[in-house]
Amino acid sequence: MTQEYVNDIADFISRYISHMLGAGVHTSRVVRNSKRIGEALGADVRIHTSQKTATLTVCSKDGKTMNTRVLDIPGFPISFEWNADLSALSWAAYDNEMSLDAIRHKFDEIVSKPKMNPWFVLFMVGLANASFCRLFGGDIWAMLVVFTSTLVGFFTRQHLTRRGVNHYIVFIVSAFVASLCASSALSLGLETAEIALATSVLYLVPGVPLINGVIDITDGHIQIGISRIVNALMLIICIAIGMSATLMLVKDSLL
Amino acid sequence: MEAFWNSIAEYNAQTWPWQLAFIAVAALFTVLLWVRPMTWVKIATKVLMVFESLWIAFVYYMKFGEGREYSSVMTIFWCLVAAAWIYDLVTHYSSFQKSGKYRPWGVIMILLPLVYPVISLLRGMSFPQMTTPMLPSAVALYMLGMLMAFNRKVNFFAFIFIVHWAVIAISKIVLFNIPEDSLLAFACLPAMFIFFKEAVDNSTGDESKPSKTAVKALILAVTVLIGACMVIEYV
Repeated sequence: MTQEYVNDIADFISRYISHMLGAGVHTSRVVRNSKRIGEALGADVRIHTSQKTATLTVCSKDGKTMNTRVLDIPGFPISFEWNADLSALSWAAYDNEMSLDAIRHKFDEIVSKPKMNPWFVLFMVGLANASFCRLFGGDIWAMLVVFTSTLVGFFTRQHLTRRGVNHYIVFIVSAFVASLCASSALSLGLETAEIALATSVLYLVPGVPLINGVIDITDGHIQIGISRIVNALMLIICIAIGMSATLMLVKDSLL
Repeated sequence: MEAFWNSIAEYNAQTWPWQLAFIAVAALFTVLLWVRPMTWVKIATKVLMVFESLWIAFVYYMKFGEGREYSSVMTIFWCLVAAAWIYDLVTHYSSFQKSGKYRPWGVIMILLPLVYPVISLLRGMSFPQMTTPMLPSAVALYMLGMLMAFNRKVNFFAFIFIVHWAVIAISKIVLFNIPEDSLLAFACLPAMFIFFKEAVDNSTGDESKPSKTAVKALILAVTVLIGACMVIEYV
């Protein structure tokens, strides 16, 4: 195995890892899939991951040629589609003994698929949050209030994120705006107004980092697991700050 | 309900000259924007929107609605509407240019706030305990009409706040016996579909999924669903 070929494999696996970790896949799956692709190409793969970077070593089976690199993990949107398709790609590479060029071609196809329409996401998030409200016992008016509050909050989040505002600030502002809009249900005297208020910020809960953090820790990737949980807790604190601001204004009648 | 109508009566009795002044200025700016849409008119109209929102927040809710439960929530909400217009002023988010599309709809919506007192009079109410064009829902309807008539690029923040307000207005129709608010509810649903449909059509950049047709179908379905909830609740 030539040094050039090992470099090419390392190039590809670097991209693979950064896309998988960036899209919110838990670490042990990323490591397993990368090793599988390495195995399919006749190379050993070793990875060390952290929250923002990963270190990758690819070496030939005889250990004579190797390539080590440190790569940044970009922040892609959470994508279950990438998770499933890129995992399937690693199996396809292993089962069908695909060449590096074929794997690379398939990878490019997967990551260049069209993204979700932001207006579609906005409406689906609104509907999902309204459904949460129903699950917690909200009536039809509470659901409508939660739906439109979520539209306001999520639109704010989309807009601020596009403008490159710090994501902690985005979470605080979005939680404040959504919960404040939902608190208008209180003035209507709705029986389930407090359910509307409580469920209006659920769309912000960072479920994927929380689950990944726990999975990573139980799989032995303690460092990145703790990083992910701390990151998720920071976001939860931001939601709490936004919602507390509303509650202080509304319930404690600061005005 | 009594506190609600008493606060409206007190508000009307004490502020009617101001309300007339607001209506006159709004009419003037609307006509100017229609016939001679100069930059200063566009800016002045946005400033008027800010003042109208703050008027509703501090005069209607904070001063005269003080006795009503959670009126402070509404004060903050209307401050957010004002903030949406201030943001628009600073970033030039909307252009207040006529697009030609849906213009008749816009004109009807702009005029609808004037129907509020007519409905009240037809219901047998009398001044000051009646609705006027300077009540929150009528102001929201005027803003919605302006966005519809001059919709080449819309202030979406203000629009979504108005959609939220319309949902609140729907529930107020029965709770506070104010059928006049059904005007806002009925105007808002088609506007909701039109604005979001236009936004989907105008979205540029990379190809996205699902298709634009599917997204517009979803928006229509949600709009119909909200309308159905309203009808089921009241009919």
